[in-house]
Amino acid sequence: MSGLSLEQVSRRSGDRVLLEGLDLAVAPGECLALLGPSGCGKTTTLRLVAGLDPCSSGRILLNGEDITHRPAGERQVAMVFQSYALFPHLDVGENLALGLRSRGVPRPERDRRIAAVLELLELTPLVRRRPAQLSGGQRQRVALARALLRQPRIVLLDEPMSNLDARLREDLRPELRRLLCGGEPPVLYVTHDQQEAMGMADRIAVLQAGRLEQVGGVRELYTDPRTRFVADFLGRPAINWLPAEGGRVLGVRPEHLRPQAEGGIAARPLRREWWGHQPLVWLETPHGTLRMLLPAGGELLDYLMVGWRAENELWFDADGRRIDGAGPWRQQGRARAV
Amino acid sequence: MSELALDLLLMLPALLLLAAVFLLPLLRAAWLSLHASSVVTGLVAVPNGGANWRRLLGDERFLQDAWQTLRFAGVSVALELLLGLALALLLHRPSRGRGALRALVLLPWALPTTVMALGWRWILNDPHGPFNALLSRLGLPTYGFLTTPATTWLATVMADVWKTTPFVALLLLAGLQSIPADLVEALKLEGAGRLTILRRLTLPLLAPWIGLALLFRLAQALGVFDLIQVLTGGGPAGSTESLAVYAYRQALRFLDFGYGSTVLMATFALLLLPGLAWLLLQNRLPRRNA
Repeated sequence: MSGLSLEQVSRRSGDRVLLEGLDLAVAPGECLALLGPSGCGKTTTLRLVAGLDPCSSGRILLNGEDITHRPAGERQVAMVFQSYALFPHLDVGENLALGLRSRGVPRPERDRRIAAVLELLELTPLVRRRPAQLSGGQRQRVALARALLRQPRIVLLDEPMSNLDARLREDLRPELRRLLCGGEPPVLYVTHDQQEAMGMADRIAVLQAGRLEQVGGVRELYTDPRTRFVADFLGRPAINWLPAEGGRVLGVRPEHLRPQAEGGIAARPLRREWWGHQPLVWLETPHGTLRMLLPAGGELLDYLMVGWRAENELWFDADGRRIDGAGPWRQQGRARAV
Repeated sequence: MSELALDLLLMLPALLLLAAVFLLPLLRAAWLSLHASSVVTGLVAVPNGGANWRRLLGDERFLQDAWQTLRFAGVSVALELLLGLALALLLHRPSRGRGALRALVLLPWALPTTVMALGWRWILNDPHGPFNALLSRLGLPTYGFLTTPATTWLATVMADVWKTTPFVALLLLAGLQSIPADLVEALKLEGAGRLTILRRLTLPLLAPWIGLALLFRLAQALGVFDLIQVLTGGGPAGSTESLAVYAYRQALRFLDFGYGSTVLMATFALLLLPGLAWLLLQNRLPRRNA
C-alpha cells in the first residue's frame, strides 16, 4: 500500500478533543487539501503527520510502514509553515544550508544542491539577504526552496499562501503545484480558503470540529455534498436554505435560482451586488431572504417569481445528513404576501 | 513651535528629574574629588589640586579592592549566566506545574539582599551555623567560610549567585519565549538534534537577551555594596572588600568626603565599561539583523 494513510487517528489535549477517529488516504503525488474553519482540526492533522504532536490513538502509515511513533526529524517531512519559519539570523543561503548541514550532507554536495534550487526558484541574487530584507513572496520562495531540499517523503503545507495578497496567491498556485505535487511524495495542503483548495488540490477533505465531514473530488463535494456543513461551507455566494416539514432543509445554490413566469416563490429584489460579471440579487421571499446569481445581462422586475430545477435540490435531514430523492420542494401553507 | 522645540519641552520634566537625582550628585562627587573635605578641614571643601587622584593611584587598598571587585563580578556573573541559562531552558520546557516552579525559582530574588545576606551569614557561621553543623554531623571538620581570607570571597560569590541567578533565568526565559515555536519545529523537521537546535538557533536568537542580562548583572556586581557589607563587612582583613564598600568607608566612616568621592568616581568609571560595551554591540547588532 503506497502513499500516506491515517487510520482512526485521534488527538486529545487535556479534555479537549482536537481530532476524532480520522481516516484518510493520500496517494503518491496526490495533493489533498484539508479544508475547514479554524479549530476544525486541519492543522492538528498536519502536526500529527509531521510528528510535531503525538497521536492519542490510531496509526499513521507511509508506504505501508507504521510511522506513528517515529520522531519528527526522521520522517523526512518537508513542511511549509504559514509564517514560513525562516531563521531570522541567517541569510537565504545559510537558511537553506542549515538543514542539510545538520543531516551531515557534505559541503560540495550541499553547495551544489543549494545552487540548483536557488536557480530553480530564481533566488540566486537574493542569497546573501536576510529574511527581514525579503518581500512576502520572496520569503515564500525561500520556504519552498527549503522544502525541496529536504527530498521529502511527505510534503505538508500549512496555509502557505495566507500571508500573500490575493493576486499573488492565484499566480503562485500553478507554480506550487508544479514544484511540489505530482512527484513521489503525497501532499497535504491545509487551508481555510475554499478557492485555494479547489485551485490546488486533487481532492478535498472537509473537516469540522475535529471530524471528517466528507472527502472527495472538487466537483463531487460541490455537486454532491453529503452533509449540510459541506454544502454550506463550499460555494460562494453561499447556498440558500429553505426549511421544510419534519425538520428537513432544502439547499439551493444561488446560481440555480432563476426567475420564472409561474409556479415559484414570490420574491422582491432587495439589493444587488456585482460578482465579477454576474449580479447577485438578494430577494425577500415568504421563506426568508434568498440569494440569486443572475445570468449576465439578465433583467429584473420589481416583483417576480423565482424557482429552480428539481435536480438541483440538495436535501438534508434534521441532523444535517444528506437525503437522496426527497424532493421536490412544495410551498407550505399560505405564502405571505410580500 | 518647531517640532524639535516641542520634543524638548515634552522631555523637559523627565530630563529635570534625571538631572536632579543623577547628574547633580555625580557632578557634585566629581567636584568633591578635586577637593579636600574631611574632619581635618572641618568638612569644608578646600581645593587640593588633584591630590586625591594622586593618592588613589598609589593606594594599594584601592588597587586590591578593584581587583577583588572585578574578580567577584566576573566569576559571579559568569556562573549566573550559565546556571540562569540552564534554568531558563529547564523552565521553558512544557511540564506540569511549570507555573509554580517559576514562582518558586524567583523566591531568592524577591528576598531583600540584606535579609538574604544575614541568612547566609548565619548558615555559614563557624561553628554554629547549619552548614557546619551538617559537616560535623558527617564527621568532617568545620570550616570558617567567613573567616578564611583566601576563600571568603567564594562565599560572597555563592550568595550572589544564589540570589540573582533567578533574575538571569527569568530574563533569558522571556527571551526563549520570544523565539517563535515554528522556527524550532522547522529545524526539528530538518532532522536537527537538540544540541544543533540550541547551538544554531536558540543561542543566536537569545544573544540580545544574554547581552542584556550581562549588562544588568555586570553593572550591579561591579557596584556591589549591600551583600558584602552585611555578609562579611569587607573582611576578613579586607579580602572581600569591594570598591563601593571602600568608598562608603572613606566617606561615611572616616568622614573623608573628598577621597571617598574620588574612589566613587573611579568605581563609576568601572561601571561605565559594560554600558559602553553594550552601546558598541547595539550598534553592531541591528546591522546584523536588518
